[in-house]
Amino acid sequence: MRVFKGAKIIAGAALLSLGLAACGSGTSTGDAGGADQPVRMRIGEPQKLFYPSDTVESEGAEVLASIFAPLVKYDEDKKPVEFVAESIKTNDNRVWTIKIKSKFTWHNGEKLIAQNYVDAWNYAANQENAQSTNYFFARVRGYDALNPGEGKTPSTDKMSGLRALDEETFQVTLKQPFSQFLTMLGYSAFYPLPKAAFDDNGKVTEAYAKKPIGQGMFQIDKPYNKGTDQTINLTQYEGFPLDKPKFKKLQFKVYNSAETAWNDLQAGNIDIQEQLPPSAISAAKAELGDRYIDQEDASIGYLGFPLVASDVYDDPRIRRAISMAIDRKTITETVFSGTRAPADDFINPLLPGYRPGACQACVYDPEGAKKLYEEANGPRTLQLGSNMDNGHKEWIEAVANNLRSNLGVTVELDQVEKFQEILDRLEAKQYTGMFRSGWLIDYPSAENYLTPVFSTGAIKTGANYAGYSNTDFDRLLAKGDSAASLEEGLKYYQQADDLLLRDLPMIPIFYYRMNAAFSEHVRGVRINLLNQVEWASVEKVA
Amino acid sequence: MGRYLIRRLLQAIPVLLGATLLIYAVVFALPGDPIASMSGEKRMDPDIVGILRDQYHLNDPFIVQYWHYISGVFQGDFGRTFAGVEVSEIIASKFQVTLNLAFTALVMEAVIGVGLGLYAALRRGRAQDTLVLASTLVLISIPTLVTGFVLQLLLGVKLKQSTGIEIFPVAGVSDGLRSYLLPAFVLAGTSIAYLARLTRTNLAETLRADYIRTAVAKGLPRRRVIGRHALRNALIPLVTYLGADLGTLMGGAVITETIFNLPGIGQELFRSVYERQQPVVVGIVTLLVLVYILANLIVDLLYAVLDPRIRYE
Amino acid sequence: MSDTTIPRTPGAPGAPGAPGAPGVPGAPGGRRARHAKRPAQSSPQGPRSPKDPGGTGTPGADDARPAGLWSDAWHDLRRRPLFVASAVLIGVILLMAVVPQLFTSVDPYDAVNCRLGDARQAPSADHWFGTDNQGCDTFARTVYGTRVSLLVGLSATVMTVLVGGLLGLLAGFRGGWPDALLSRVAEIFFAIPSVLGALLILAVFRTGTVWTVMLALSMLAWPMTFRIMRAAVITAKGQDYVIAARALGASGGRLMFRHILPNSVASVIVVATINLGVFIAAEAGLSFLGVGIQSPSISWGLMIADARPRFLEAAGPLLFPAAFLSVTVLAFIMLGDAVRDALDPKLR
Repeated sequence: MRVFKGAKIIAGAALLSLGLAACGSGTSTGDAGGADQPVRMRIGEPQKLFYPSDTVESEGAEVLASIFAPLVKYDEDKKPVEFVAESIKTNDNRVWTIKIKSKFTWHNGEKLIAQNYVDAWNYAANQENAQSTNYFFARVRGYDALNPGEGKTPSTDKMSGLRALDEETFQVTLKQPFSQFLTMLGYSAFYPLPKAAFDDNGKVTEAYAKKPIGQGMFQIDKPYNKGTDQTINLTQYEGFPLDKPKFKKLQFKVYNSAETAWNDLQAGNIDIQEQLPPSAISAAKAELGDRYIDQEDASIGYLGFPLVASDVYDDPRIRRAISMAIDRKTITETVFSGTRAPADDFINPLLPGYRPGACQACVYDPEGAKKLYEEANGPRTLQLGSNMDNGHKEWIEAVANNLRSNLGVTVELDQVEKFQEILDRLEAKQYTGMFRSGWLIDYPSAENYLTPVFSTGAIKTGANYAGYSNTDFDRLLAKGDSAASLEEGLKYYQQADDLLLRDLPMIPIFYYRMNAAFSEHVRGVRINLLNQVEWASVEKVA
Repeated sequence: MGRYLIRRLLQAIPVLLGATLLIYAVVFALPGDPIASMSGEKRMDPDIVGILRDQYHLNDPFIVQYWHYISGVFQGDFGRTFAGVEVSEIIASKFQVTLNLAFTALVMEAVIGVGLGLYAALRRGRAQDTLVLASTLVLISIPTLVTGFVLQLLLGVKLKQSTGIEIFPVAGVSDGLRSYLLPAFVLAGTSIAYLARLTRTNLAETLRADYIRTAVAKGLPRRRVIGRHALRNALIPLVTYLGADLGTLMGGAVITETIFNLPGIGQELFRSVYERQQPVVVGIVTLLVLVYILANLIVDLLYAVLDPRIRYE
Repeated sequence: MSDTTIPRTPGAPGAPGAPGAPGVPGAPGGRRARHAKRPAQSSPQGPRSPKDPGGTGTPGADDARPAGLWSDAWHDLRRRPLFVASAVLIGVILLMAVVPQLFTSVDPYDAVNCRLGDARQAPSADHWFGTDNQGCDTFARTVYGTRVSLLVGLSATVMTVLVGGLLGLLAGFRGGWPDALLSRVAEIFFAIPSVLGALLILAVFRTGTVWTVMLALSMLAWPMTFRIMRAAVITAKGQDYVIAARALGASGGRLMFRHILPNSVASVIVVATINLGVFIAAEAGLSFLGVGIQSPSISWGLMIADARPRFLEAAGPLLFPAAFLSVTVLAFIMLGDAVRDALDPKLR
């Protein structure tokens, strides 16, 4: 009976493989109270390995934020305060002198020096290295020499506006005065890199990107294999000179689905989850009490008009009517279950400069919209382009239904797999319809909602996908940039915002909200402006 | 037998090559730029995109890229993702999940499917038989998509809500074997029904055969007649079915994996198509083609073992 | 056989005549067994085929031949409750696909009928099946979704029968290198996992429409029909009446289409009927994965996909189209079962 033998082998193999799987998971689910039990947080899979200057997405940034310490952090009033920096000084908003605290060391024991910043920033700004935070350095003098364009080789590998004065001080010279430069420095693009990160040719090695050496609170235990590793384990770095977290081990668990992570949070298999899925909100509110966090988030969702590719929407009344026809309140309540809030300004309520109700065209008024649309003789067929993943499909369809029933037009949905496709087709003028867009600030300043999204310069390099170009607007931004103080700058930025509210090159639809939850095993979870957990305040509950 | 084996293996080579070439061509034809998909929603500087494209040989013509790939494969190198991880490592880790799922499903098929079929065959024509026939017909008709969601709702969610005990986890693989039971049943559902019907018909036919009548006439106990004589002969098509089904289960697991959020190769492939990770896509499909070919080969060999009348030259 | 397996298995539940059938018809044992048993010996075909040498040319004989096999099958079918039940079901489904207005007065394609404020309501007198995430009437959408789902199933079936059938006829009749070549190609397509393959093909097309989904499904399903047709043709080729016709000097084309095809097509039709249901399920699976039909078109799979994120809060918008989908698939599989039994009485 050889068959049965075969069957036994097959069954045996299956049981064996299951047994292994069971063992593998057993270690991660045990009692959360043990001393060595890490604090476990859900992240989505980082898009790349840990190159600080090549990380522009939230998941990788979350991990990096635990390994690296930024020059500045942001206080309760969203103002930058020195962290690794001892002082940051400027007289003219153009030449900035940054002195770092002397007691910081890298995880390999070396001392953190000013040259580490110079090396890292020159590396990021060099087009040869193809780093995605390259554009952050465009304001620095000497950036252009590192970025002559595709097919050309830079003549140097250093920006002339960046130099170390001594071991603890370095100086940044900008092309033009920029009053908000200080606020930029909290972002991951501005982390330093140790000597050990570079190979002989001055490139950051892959080995480093798998197991980055930082100067932050936690060090990574072992190299991270993206795509196979489901956890990233970190241990507190004893040499960290400032406030240390009150627990030893931190673990990031990779979940591709927020729903699964939510199930595991309820089951006690993870401790912290940012960005709950809309389907979890009502349960989270009801069951978690103060372990549910609902706070403002720095992102905005827009609908953009293809001013760059078509003249159909050139009449601002059409854009205004479309904006008035969208029922933002119901969409945020029903589609998003409160994980978004209706937008009423181009500046997010998270930051100083926001004015509630500033956008009058954002008030839902179906009758007024229809009247205005007919006056302006708007097109009978509208196109609406969007990628449909990440929960976009539902709200895009809701908006389409609003426009259909309130304006009496036909709305065609142009579905793309990736957002990039719309941009490419807009640029090539193959697509001439409205499109979804969004913006997450790179640094917490009202200015960051304006310059990268609506300035003339941002048409080529930034996120000005609509192609809006208004010299008055650009001039107001320049005035704000060179203003003597952050407050004075804000006045000009608000005037620029007023122009946007009049012209509506895009229409703001909603502000994101940060909906997070944590388990009974931890307390003191706070989430900062950059949507990262402040580990220093987190405690385990015995 | 040896020569037959070699011939079969040789025959498999063009199939394997053809399938990889086909898949590679399809992946190559996928619209969208793998580099652009790395940057999320922010536009990348076109200069930087150009530099990266050169780095990954993305500007080479199709056949050159395929050559790069397939010559690597023959040296045991399945390529690397854009994040620099070996494709073979990724596939190995995801493959485990799908393998667990497929084997659990296969065991369920064998136990439940054959069991049901046996039960029905021995009560042929009676109410129980009709019940089995009707219920398997219904099971065949309900798509995995539907059984998946219904069972997830009833056994995963409602059961937990009403009893307070989590018997079947709603999703994920963090509970070992328990996480696989429900998805495996969903995946195996149609096959269980087929197998039950196949067993029933085959066994019923065998039971009418002369040698069974002889065995009964000889006064052998019923248990022995069924187990020793009837079942063994009825087994041949069942083994065939099970063997062939392994490949189908693994290839078809993507929907089950999606519903129950199991990080297997189906989900990985889905994501890799989205991210345009060409080597991962081609690697996974190649592997599944290989599984299919091997499973069929094993089934054919088993055939000879089970049925002495079949000889392979 | 469901959306996880686009027709790979010939789908003859419990067919004893095809031991190697599901999945591995290429297995030598299976093939041998089938050749020995299948249509060749099915007694009703032999005598009733008036393909005797003398009758080949006359139109009268041509009319009589199909009448013989098919009218007999029809006569047999009408008495089967399985057939009657499935036929009635399919009739209703067809009616729903062609004139959905008969079943509901709400036009789900008109946005005015969707009120976001009413989203995820439980079934009520106004909304029999409740409302979905966009506040649209689930019943109306389910009824209107029939058309797309059915169209995909029908067109993919026609396509596979045409392509697989013709190639199978050619390969089986010609033999030699066309046979070897076609069989290899079929094997390549056969070896590619179906859902994953369809997923890839659809990703190339970018937008899923009825036609691209149909194409993706048929591209991976034709080898099944090809194999069945090829096997049947090879069997038929050896029959006395074909040899006789050949001896009388009938041309290749005439032999192929007049003599062999009518006698080999029965098994293909049986599989095609069953596959129709499977294609409908496969469309739902692909739409669920986001590569199938796209809105504003309405299909059951798309409705299931749309309802999924809020499934635990509102199960109705998912379960109702799922139920319609299952009943439709069941109806076609039952029909296929009945037709098989009628055409091949030995399998009863």
